[in-house]
Amino acid sequence: MGEIKIAAQSLRMSIHTRMQYRVDSLVATLAVFVREATNIIVIYLALMKFDKINGWNVNEMLFLFSLLFLTYAFVVSLFADLRDFSCMIREGRFDRLMLRPRGLLFQLILNNADIIASIGHGTLGICLFLISANKVGITWDIPTILYYISAIIGGVLIQGGMFILFSALSFYFVETNSIREIFYWNMRKFAGYPISIYNKLIQTLMMYVVPFAFVNYFPAQYLLRKEDMADYNEMYMYIAPCVGVVIYLTAYGFWRISVKRYKSTGN
Amino acid sequence: MQMIEVNGIKKYYKVAKRDKGITSSVKHLFHRNYQVKKAVDDISFSIKKGEIVGFIGPNGAGKSTTIKMLSGILYPDEGKLQINGYIPYKQRKQYVKNIGVVFGQKSQLHWDLPLIESFELMKYIYKIPQNLYEENLEKFTKLLDMENFINQPVRQLSLGQRMRGDIVAALLHSPEIVFFDEPTIGLDVVAKEKIREFIKYMNETEQTTIIFTTHDMQDIEKVCDRLIIIDEGKKIYDGTIDGIKNKYANSKTIEILLENGEKEVKTFDINKTPMNEVMEGLFSKYHIKDISICEPEIDEIIRDIYEGRVALKTTDGKVGEI
Repeated sequence: MGEIKIAAQSLRMSIHTRMQYRVDSLVATLAVFVREATNIIVIYLALMKFDKINGWNVNEMLFLFSLLFLTYAFVVSLFADLRDFSCMIREGRFDRLMLRPRGLLFQLILNNADIIASIGHGTLGICLFLISANKVGITWDIPTILYYISAIIGGVLIQGGMFILFSALSFYFVETNSIREIFYWNMRKFAGYPISIYNKLIQTLMMYVVPFAFVNYFPAQYLLRKEDMADYNEMYMYIAPCVGVVIYLTAYGFWRISVKRYKSTGN
Repeated sequence: MQMIEVNGIKKYYKVAKRDKGITSSVKHLFHRNYQVKKAVDDISFSIKKGEIVGFIGPNGAGKSTTIKMLSGILYPDEGKLQINGYIPYKQRKQYVKNIGVVFGQKSQLHWDLPLIESFELMKYIYKIPQNLYEENLEKFTKLLDMENFINQPVRQLSLGQRMRGDIVAALLHSPEIVFFDEPTIGLDVVAKEKIREFIKYMNETEQTTIIFTTHDMQDIEKVCDRLIIIDEGKKIYDGTIDGIKNKYANSKTIEILLENGEKEVKTFDINKTPMNEVMEGLFSKYHIKDISICEPEIDEIIRDIYEGRVALKTTDGKVGEI
């Protein structure tokens, strides 16, 4: 109960803060939306020419993208502090969390929600979903909906787990932004397309190292059953939602060990 | 009952040593030589419930590191630490329920929101019962004179107002121990006075145990019963303020007004020249109309200690305790 009250108050405060700068918030949200949508429009136009990429048509591609944006909308509303964690350490704000009688990860997750990014990505994700969901041949019965929801949760956990892992690295090195840049943001760009178009190295990275394939590709395959799935173990479609749980728990374990090494910055 | 029991705590930092020049910069990439810096080097003390202790030392002496170990943010590399029945760095969640920490240089308030919003968050984080929360909030805002700015966004507050807000945020859950890390830094005389009075009040009425770091000796003189001085990671004094004055105020300044209206100011070290000799010398040399002997200010004594002009170690190498 107490936890829910903290969550509610934190969210209230995040929204209240943004509402103080209404115009800025609106413009920033729009900027996020337009920035991401531009990428999609470019791909859309390109696909009009090529018709298909490895058997995936435009709508199927948009569906693949929608999973990426929808999961990310949740990720930034929950894991914003972990995304900016090295900054938090440098400014000494992490000390304050240690002085409060609550779990550290719990506080980090609830503390700050990046509402702007969340709404920007979320809106785009919903738009893409609405455009594509009825045109890709999915029958939305109860099991499918349940799979879809758990795939979204799994995707959020995968990315959240990655943020936790990167944050835990901050306890060993003060600056970890470049590691995050290489492994998260660059790999995320690959995730917009079916991984079957890439060479073996990138595919391996996407499946086993930075497992974005389980955020959108394999869940989409479960729902769409494209031919390129033949290249992979069929199991991957079914275990996609569980991968998130495993990664999250692993990240949590690593965090627990790493946080013991914490050395605060100076005054 | 000992509230805080600190036994030989040490904290080391590894600092990468690097030389000047490009070649050594390149070398530094592949191989680093570390130097161990002793931030806190074997400090022990104990503090009773309801005591109010001032913690001073020059910049970089290890004050903040000590406070961070006491408050459970850092673990000591060596030594034992027990506070209020807990080992801070091991039982963090349990331990911090009963402490409050105010960092003068780091606010915990939400910059864009009114104070009251941050206070509400504290209520949920510390599970403060509604009646206690309201009672404390009313009492603190009255004592610290905050009624007229409690609904203003923090970014519009003055430093003094913000500091008062930070103090309330750290005390709403009625902690038994409060650490103040430079709470008066950068404040004007009036704001300082208000905060000192409040700290003293909390100590007297609630029996709150208080540890207080500052660079302002006025804070110490007006608020604390006991003073701990640390320098280069070691405790060099632990005792009362009068004690340090008596023991280390070796120099006395004498102002004499001569019969012809001229003024003379002389400083003597009474360990070298006892007052008797000083006076005899003066009487034989001058025709004196009036004389006044000034005690050195605590500020001067502390400055002498920091600059190494007064050694606090007694001859047998033990730290001077009074």
